[in-house]
Amino acid sequence: MGHGSTWPGHIALKLNPNFVNDVLKQSKTKIILVTGTNGKTTTAKLLQTILEENNQKVFLNASGANLLNGIASSIILKSALTGKLYFNYAIFEVDENTLPQIIEKLEPDFIIALNLFRDQLDRYGEINTVAKKWKDAYRNLNKTEFILNADDPQIAYLGDGLDLKTHYFGLNDHKFEYKIQQHAADSILCPKCGIKLTYDAFYFSHLGKWKCENCQLKRPNPDLESFQYYPLLGTYAIYDTLAAVLTTQILGLNNEQIEKALKTFKPAFGRQEITEINGKKTQLFLSKNPTSFNESLRTINANKTRNLLLVLDDRIPDGTDVSWIWDIDFETLINKNTKLYLAGDRVYDLALRLKYASVNFSKENVFENLEKAIRSGLDKTNNSDIFYILPTYSAMLETRKILTGKKIL
Amino acid sequence: MNYKLTIGWLYPELMNIYGDRGNATALTKRCQWRGIETEMVMLDLGFFEEDLKKCDILLMGGAQDKQQEAVSKDLFKKSKILQSMIKENIPGLYICGAYQFLGNYYKEANGNIIKGLGIFDLYTENPGENAKRLIGNAVFENKNFGRLFGFENHGGRTYLGKNIRPFGEVVRGFGNNGVDSTEGATYNNSFGTYLHGPILPKNPLFADYLISMALEVKYKTKITLEKLDDELEQKARLAIAKRLSVRI
Repeated sequence: MGHGSTWPGHIALKLNPNFVNDVLKQSKTKIILVTGTNGKTTTAKLLQTILEENNQKVFLNASGANLLNGIASSIILKSALTGKLYFNYAIFEVDENTLPQIIEKLEPDFIIALNLFRDQLDRYGEINTVAKKWKDAYRNLNKTEFILNADDPQIAYLGDGLDLKTHYFGLNDHKFEYKIQQHAADSILCPKCGIKLTYDAFYFSHLGKWKCENCQLKRPNPDLESFQYYPLLGTYAIYDTLAAVLTTQILGLNNEQIEKALKTFKPAFGRQEITEINGKKTQLFLSKNPTSFNESLRTINANKTRNLLLVLDDRIPDGTDVSWIWDIDFETLINKNTKLYLAGDRVYDLALRLKYASVNFSKENVFENLEKAIRSGLDKTNNSDIFYILPTYSAMLETRKILTGKKIL
Repeated sequence: MNYKLTIGWLYPELMNIYGDRGNATALTKRCQWRGIETEMVMLDLGFFEEDLKKCDILLMGGAQDKQQEAVSKDLFKKSKILQSMIKENIPGLYICGAYQFLGNYYKEANGNIIKGLGIFDLYTENPGENAKRLIGNAVFENKNFGRLFGFENHGGRTYLGKNIRPFGEVVRGFGNNGVDSTEGATYNNSFGTYLHGPILPKNPLFADYLISMALEVKYKTKITLEKLDDELEQKARLAIAKRLSVRI
């Protein structure tokens, strides 16, 4: 999917099913897998930045080419004629659903597991099933170290009874706490015994300070709870930063080296990416499921948003089922003074959702044409303001094409 | 006369996987826009029987397996009350997992049988991991509400018994089992369906039917609901109808 260039990998794997493992082993390249529902791309980019700024050679699999074929093809393209790779680190983003297949073929040095949220149930199945498949797959590993999110019960539980080195990151900051659970929470039952969990605090969705009163399973004490510098806005991005920082600390870098590197960080495309068009700023916040949508809204709300475009597509990468928009907390997260623009393949479903949330928007701002929506919002945006855009995945690619193609006049 | 409806949402914390909250929102708003007062009762694990009894209309959604297990234990204790409410024509909407649960049993892929509440004469079989899940945009037709638009996503195949009627006939999609063209089931004023989306916001005729039936049962008089502006609802229906090459 995506990349047309996966055929060299396909052939290599046909000839030698252990191709990826063999090349990487021979090259002494350390392999880091990043998985989870939200934040994979950002975390991989953070890791890459920290390592490269500290003179390490890093190999990152291109987005879209997430499967083994893609990884194998990237290796072929990047390796010397001898079949050796001259890289210190290989960072691979792995979809939550393909992780078990990948680690069957390749034993990573590190697995970073960020979170599990409901996302594309039409494609990936339910999160309990995903978590169970992960836990089964880990039985075959011998040397992998785990970097786990202590605040996500399903993720933290992966470390329970695991005979491998585990490290935890989590938040410990009153500033980010909510006392009431947000609606889109998935994992409120104990992953071990199935009884409802109790929380001292929520950070977002089902992430927080949790424990099970029944079987005593509880949030592990994090090895890292905060850092001196965060390059991105929003609670969810703070988790991504903590994951990258903890990993690079384990790899031997000190906080000064890490901070200095993070100050050069540029967001991955579509993830808080800023584009300037004729002196006007737009900022894209990829919002692909209820949790990431809620967090995007919460993040931009802190910045007195005047003009906001929401784009809902329902293509394969977005998930073909749009019912998830009813799990977004529009009722409380849209500012009264924000002017809304709506677009996307399923713009009327989005409009209907907002109507039932009693959020005001004008009929003229419901666009079947994305380019018109962007132009209209930009017209109303002052030079000192930012025009915020929250798109699903395909919508983000299309929006970006329009913005960077400078088709807008 | 000032009308009031009490909406009972069964297991909102656990059975809410496919945007089911939208159904609760649709009922509430469509009442409020007409000046009908509403109260939402959240019937979560361990709820009191009294709270269920006072409801004029019921909603229950789907869940993941683990959640469904916890709910099953709890609901069995109260199944008599639910059964008598359904018999007394209390309107209810039961989606996906909830729909299966009202049937006689659910047969897992390994042959294991999970008992249902036995209120709807139907059973469900899971054909195993090798059979594909029935996923996609779906449309079915009911003779009272016309075409209903939504999305289905289920592994289980449901087969209706003699004592129950289908909710509608499949126009696009799979329906109960992908074979016999039936979708959902209906008994008195209760409706089971695989259609989420959620179903009520985009199918306002059906939403209004549930509201008017709830009022008629409660106030024992014929009710005609005030018309609402459903232009956006129609546009959302039309958009997906066009895509699937069907009329709305």
